Amino acid sequence: MNEALNQLSSGTPESAEKLRIAVVGGGPGGYAAAFLAADLGMQVTLIDPEVNPGGVCLYRGCIPSKALLHVAKLIEESQQAKNWGIEFPKPNIDLARLRSWKEGVVKKLTGGLGLLSKQRHVEYIQGRAAFQGSTTLQITKADASEAVLSFDRIILATGSRPAIIPALKLDTPCLMDSTGGLNLEDIPGSLLVVGGGYIGLELGSVYAALGTRVTVVEMLPGLLPGADRDLVLPLHKRLEKMFEAILLNTTVASLKEDGAGIRATFAGAALQEKDREKVFDRVLVSVGRKPNSEIAGLETTQVQVNARGFIEVNKQLQTADPSIYAIGDVVGEPMLAHKAMHEGRTAVEAIAGHKVAFEPAAIPAVVFTDPEVAWCGLTETQAEKENREIKVAKFPWGASGRAVTLDRPEGMTKLLIDPQTERVLGVGIVGVGAGDLIAEGVLAIEMAALASDVAMTIHPHPTLSETVMESAEVFFGTSTDIFRPKRA
Amino acid sequence: MIEFKLPALGENIEQGDLVRLMIAPGATVSEGQAVMELETDKAVVEVPSSVSGKVQEILVKEGEKVKVGQVIFTVENHAGAAVAAAAPKSAPVASAQRAASEAQAAAKPLPVPTPQPGPPAPPQRTRSTDAPREFRLQELGENISEGDLVRLMIAPGAKVSEGQPVMELETDKAVVEVPSSVSGVVAEVKVKEGEKIKVGQVIFTLQGSAPSQAEAVRPPSRPVEHVSGQHGARLAFQAAIRAEGKTEEQALPPDQPQPRPPAFSMPVQLGKVAGTEHREPVPAAPSTRRLAREIGVDIYAVKGTGPGGRISEDDVKAHAKALVTAGAAAAQAPPRAGHFIEPKLPDFAKWGKIERVSMRGVRRKTAEHLAESWNTIPHVTQHDRADITELEQLRARFAPKAEQAGGKMTVTAIALKVCAAALKVFPQFNATIDMEKEEIIYKQYINIGVAADTDRGLLVPVIRDVDKKNIVELAVELSQLSQKAREKKITLADMEGGTFTITNLGGIGGTAFTPIVNHPEVAILGLSRSRMEPEWIGGKFEPRLILPLSLSYDHRLIDGADAARFLRWVAEAFEQPFLLSVQG
Repeated sequence: MNEALNQLSSGTPESAEKLRIAVVGGGPGGYAAAFLAADLGMQVTLIDPEVNPGGVCLYRGCIPSKALLHVAKLIEESQQAKNWGIEFPKPNIDLARLRSWKEGVVKKLTGGLGLLSKQRHVEYIQGRAAFQGSTTLQITKADASEAVLSFDRIILATGSRPAIIPALKLDTPCLMDSTGGLNLEDIPGSLLVVGGGYIGLELGSVYAALGTRVTVVEMLPGLLPGADRDLVLPLHKRLEKMFEAILLNTTVASLKEDGAGIRATFAGAALQEKDREKVFDRVLVSVGRKPNSEIAGLETTQVQVNARGFIEVNKQLQTADPSIYAIGDVVGEPMLAHKAMHEGRTAVEAIAGHKVAFEPAAIPAVVFTDPEVAWCGLTETQAEKENREIKVAKFPWGASGRAVTLDRPEGMTKLLIDPQTERVLGVGIVGVGAGDLIAEGVLAIEMAALASDVAMTIHPHPTLSETVMESAEVFFGTSTDIFRPKRA
Repeated sequence: MIEFKLPALGENIEQGDLVRLMIAPGATVSEGQAVMELETDKAVVEVPSSVSGKVQEILVKEGEKVKVGQVIFTVENHAGAAVAAAAPKSAPVASAQRAASEAQAAAKPLPVPTPQPGPPAPPQRTRSTDAPREFRLQELGENISEGDLVRLMIAPGAKVSEGQPVMELETDKAVVEVPSSVSGVVAEVKVKEGEKIKVGQVIFTLQGSAPSQAEAVRPPSRPVEHVSGQHGARLAFQAAIRAEGKTEEQALPPDQPQPRPPAFSMPVQLGKVAGTEHREPVPAAPSTRRLAREIGVDIYAVKGTGPGGRISEDDVKAHAKALVTAGAAAAQAPPRAGHFIEPKLPDFAKWGKIERVSMRGVRRKTAEHLAESWNTIPHVTQHDRADITELEQLRARFAPKAEQAGGKMTVTAIALKVCAAALKVFPQFNATIDMEKEEIIYKQYINIGVAADTDRGLLVPVIRDVDKKNIVELAVELSQLSQKAREKKITLADMEGGTFTITNLGGIGGTAFTPIVNHPEVAILGLSRSRMEPEWIGGKFEPRLILPLSLSYDHRLIDGADAARFLRWVAEAFEQPFLLSVQG
């Protein structure tokens, strides 16, 4: 690590160390960029409306939702423990304490980032920035004071916000987006989740575990559009038991305030008459996210925004304005923190004069439901669309000792393999801890590992990570724990 | 089972095109019997069998390229051959028995096929006549007595082989693929997707006739992929939903187009990066990709030497180095002989219809060889004329004698004798240059190649020890070789070892040409058509029969004056045949 840093610094042009850099937006992409820029000797200003860096991910996204999902899993498992001879009484949920624990997690992590900023001498300004030309920002601070500062380079990391459906907009706290959902104001008796993507399923799971009757409505024919169906199936089966209803091929025609709740009417060919209308205590709208590209004064720069609202960048994350870079959700899908962080670091390295490009071989996607769903690289859906010949090797977790000890054998690990080179092109996992397991798949793809490389790497026993190795063995028809000879 | 593999054919010959197969499955072959004709770079050869027995399976096809060591066909082992011997119709008993005993003998040194240890080979089981005609759901695991059929992977008429997954079953705990325990062709499928299936229930039946051995041994050429694409997953999904008692309409039609997302929606497409152009991930580690970018190498242009084409840091460096040296070399050196790159061809189809034909066998070899000769040898061609008026009278007189012996007294046959004599007088024309060792190799023998125009292209059979044979003998041998060449019977050995070449285009016409020396020889004599011409003899023109001679030679070894002397000597030998007996 030190060596790498030394190498970076030694390769840095003399002028790069004196560069003044502004990073607009303090989410994972923004603070990763700011911290690396500081490490490379640049003079860095990080601007964000929150007290500390963290952005949506830490304040209103990944982190609080994971804290709540942890609780949801605990509740689910304590009930499942009945099967193992351990019976717990129905949990007593102290919502205020749960909330404050969640907020404590957020505070601890964002406070840590604030400290890291100070240690790195990153100037953190709580406020909002507006452009005055390509290199000048007018900053309105939290205390309403203003400052106009000039920089050599500006990195936009303004992120995204929940998308809203104008037709379904209601002025009632009962209608929530993901931010409202995470606030956890009460445990509603019933909740309608509009959108069967990962945000809706994660939050829906939390509420269902806390005792809410959850209905999910998705206009496409399956949950988690874009993911391979065989990865979604075990999750779908489990959610069907947890949720009141999962309505596919269905849209919400209207939402109306109805007493203390919201009356929803649905539209969809497959819908039965009695399901066409229902009253819910709360409605969570999770139909995707919109990039925050409406930045004040952006018209005074040469930055280009495309039709979908994303800022256009090249492989160095540089916008059409040479002194302005942009990273993270605001430049495009996938809107994932880890993608933004990698982009942030790449942009800073490019600014420092290194020859770099953002061209990952795989970006992992993780849905933190229970079971988790994770994949990276090529998917079967994509291979089919591209009419690309692949071999798929699947290892069902029923044959994994670890999965059986956890009483969670519904999982599955699969490798997508190039039949010619036997290179691993994609990995998909569904099951408990899939989000952690997928990292090995990403590494395998980045390192251009062959199925034999994965099969010949010793994995610890008994762990779920063995399923990655064994699916590679399945490819060769020699898996230890399942008998499925390779066919000619 | 005994395999017959293509044996070594000769020096530097690794493969050939299979022109003709002389056997078929079921035929009896014996050792030494020709089983196929193979066209190598220079010749068509008959390949004799080294095994005996009844041909079981032929693994090659006419028109294919066959490599040395490749399995051509299999014969049944001695037991099989004995069965063939017992059948009196297939061959006379005596010869069949001989074949059987030969097969036995041939089988001895080969390992006797024994059942492999470990999992029993599936085909062997299915060979038994009482093979099951149906497939029942087997025990799935402890305490699992049934499951929901989520996906069927077979249909009536499909071939199944043992071990091939035939369906996906969802049990209480997991979705499992169920492999077949039988092989054959599916007659009827007794279950439907979405149904509950119990252990012991019949899943499908096989077609009545017992699978032939060949079928049982060879798995279907295109097995049903256990790769379950989106379609499979969708079916599973469908079945799962049906199993929960949902209406038929709620089941997901497999090919329903996705509804267009309304304007407000931003479908979450994890895993795809917007704004970056789509290029397949290159098989190189991130650190290697970074290195390539830093030193200005397009990683996609680098050839990976690792497993699966993986690109290492060394590959990137080697590529960069090659780029630098190639650039420098291109700037300085003219293309080295024999190693230059052909300029890119234009798109001829722009100007009209074209046909591309693969350049195989003789044509390709000729192209390579002549290009090599031309690029290696600095050529000069010396022309002369020989007055063969008197020789022609002699030729006509001795023609019947040659004919009696089975040959044809041609100018070429005489030229062979003339050249052999000339090569003795001028040994540097019967030599080879070894540039590497900086030596000249003088050959103490005189073998002369004669270019023959065949329908397969240019072939050059070689006549050995020309100096030790008389003209009639040469005429006979030349006739035989030419015929062999035209009948594609010529062997590579017939075309090796030449020291000098004669090419006669006189039969077609022309007054002179510049033949290309047949490397590693150093000279070639071309003959054009002889004609009556006026010659100034003794103060007046006389009609004389004149044979035009063209001698191309390797100027590295042979000086112009020597070439002129050599050709004059040849011309005079034609003019005064008596010289041959005096000097030759």
